[in-house]
Amino acid sequence: MSGYLSRHAQVLLATLGDMLREPVASALAIAVIGITLALPAGLFTALANVQRLSTGWQRSAAFSVYLHRQTPAPRQIATAIGRLPGVKSVAYVSPAAGLALFRRLSGFGPALATLHSNPLPPVVLVTPRRETPSALAQLTHALQRVPGVASVQSDLHWLERLQAGLALGRRLALLLTALLGLAVLLILGNTIRVAVMNRATEIEVIQLVGGTDRFIRRPFLYAGALQGILGALAAFVIVEIAVLILDGPVRHLADLYGSPYRLQGLGLHGLLWLVLGGGALGWTGSRLAVARELRRRRLA
Amino acid sequence: MIELRHVFKRYHGGADVLTDINFTIEDGEMVFLTGPSGAGKSTLLKLIALIERPTRGQISVNGRDLAKLSRRRIPAFRREIGVVFQDNKLLNDRTLFDNVALPLIVRGVTGDELRRRVHAALDKVGLLARARNHPLTLSGGEQQRVGIARAITNRPPLLIADEPTGNLDAALSDEVIDLFSDFHAHGTTVLIATHEKRHIERLRKRVITLRKDHSLEAA
Ligand SMILES: Nc1ncnc2c1ncn2[C@@H]1O[C@H](COP(=O)(O)OP(=O)(O)OP(=O)(O)O)[C@@H](O)[C@H]1O
Ligand SMILES: [Mg+2]
Repeated sequence: MSGYLSRHAQVLLATLGDMLREPVASALAIAVIGITLALPAGLFTALANVQRLSTGWQRSAAFSVYLHRQTPAPRQIATAIGRLPGVKSVAYVSPAAGLALFRRLSGFGPALATLHSNPLPPVVLVTPRRETPSALAQLTHALQRVPGVASVQSDLHWLERLQAGLALGRRLALLLTALLGLAVLLILGNTIRVAVMNRATEIEVIQLVGGTDRFIRRPFLYAGALQGILGALAAFVIVEIAVLILDGPVRHLADLYGSPYRLQGLGLHGLLWLVLGGGALGWTGSRLAVARELRRRRLA
Repeated sequence: MIELRHVFKRYHGGADVLTDINFTIEDGEMVFLTGPSGAGKSTLLKLIALIERPTRGQISVNGRDLAKLSRRRIPAFRREIGVVFQDNKLLNDRTLFDNVALPLIVRGVTGDELRRRVHAALDKVGLLARARNHPLTLSGGEQQRVGIARAITNRPPLLIADEPTGNLDAALSDEVIDLFSDFHAHGTTVLIATHEKRHIERLRKRVITLRKDHSLEAA
């Protein structure tokens, strides 16, 4: 067993040595794989960020319920709404609180100061328990029937459109991933094929002295997996750099909307997926390439 | 040990290289294979080592019908045969040690045992002091002896050598044949292709002769 492990370690070291002997070619191959993997990884990152934007919106409240301005006991109405089935939580915003918030966020402070009375109605922000379209439609009806309610405004339509857009985006990202994954498979397969051809004599001699296909294949599989993993790391760096470049403008835009929203990169989870995917593509690509070459080079 | 029945060989698109070859070599025998250049000696040895397939006929080695040997079993079969190639087949970017170690490495031999057996094999052919050198820094005869060391490092029950003395002077040539003879004395079956009548006369072993028309000369 320890012999087996040390043999694997040796093969891995030899593989690294081979790559270092051709530094430019190896770096180029890794860069191409990195850029190819960065495209779907970047798209998934963008989608995740849009998704976070929409769920953040939803969490705060899906409905703004406007009460009649003359309602005598708006807080009791808010409590009553809070007891409706399907309501997760409510937040009451009094006209005074609403005005203060508006003053702070809108930049119309001086203009608002000239107002004699507060023009804002009392508002109840409602967070639904479930976010399915039917549950939301039902809740809209229930809210409209509560006495004292003037109007119910929901973010429902906007969210539905966003969700549909996101679903399309995810489908596109999967398609792109499949296509570019295939491209990585082909790129890696070709590098490994060239590596096999450079070692034709060695492979023949190993076959002559009784080496199995497995034995011949092993270093090439390591080389393929290693290149895939290094390419994945390159893709990670590319995506993180792009996020860094976009972070400043996005932060500025979010600040203008008074949102704490920040762009997020791939994270540890994304890195793990990328490395696993890159390694698996490298392994598979070289396995296919070596299998074809071995079939061609069979002695008898 | 080796049995050929009505064996024919024709390379792709070429003429017959071997026609209707029949012979048997017993376990533990030592046999010389001779014949003019181009008669098919190397081809015959390649058929026995399963490096080439016959066009027709049956070959069995060590009790196994080679036509029925599955692809997965070929590596294990080749490990039971030590082959010295006419063109040596050495890896020029590897040291003598690594070249001779290869048949052991593919079987998973490592560490001290590997070192011990490689050194023993190199010692037998008188090249132990040059274990760290590369093949191209050696003379033709020395390279041939590296090929022999690689073939015997596994201690196979069957040794096949294709002109193992082609590049050697008379004294070294005798030494190498005596080395094979020594393995034969210890129970190894030995088959050597050679042009040199001298060895055949000196050792008085059985001779199989291929004629220019690629058929077998009656013994
Ligand atoms: N791979 C091959 N493809 C086509 N023809 C071949 C191949 N190998 C050998 N031959 C032909 O088969 C014939 C026999 O070759 P072989 O090498 O077996 O002869 P030999 O007896 O070993 O000769 P020598 O004494 O010169 O080594 C030759 O005519 C050669 O040209
Ligand atoms: Mg020959």
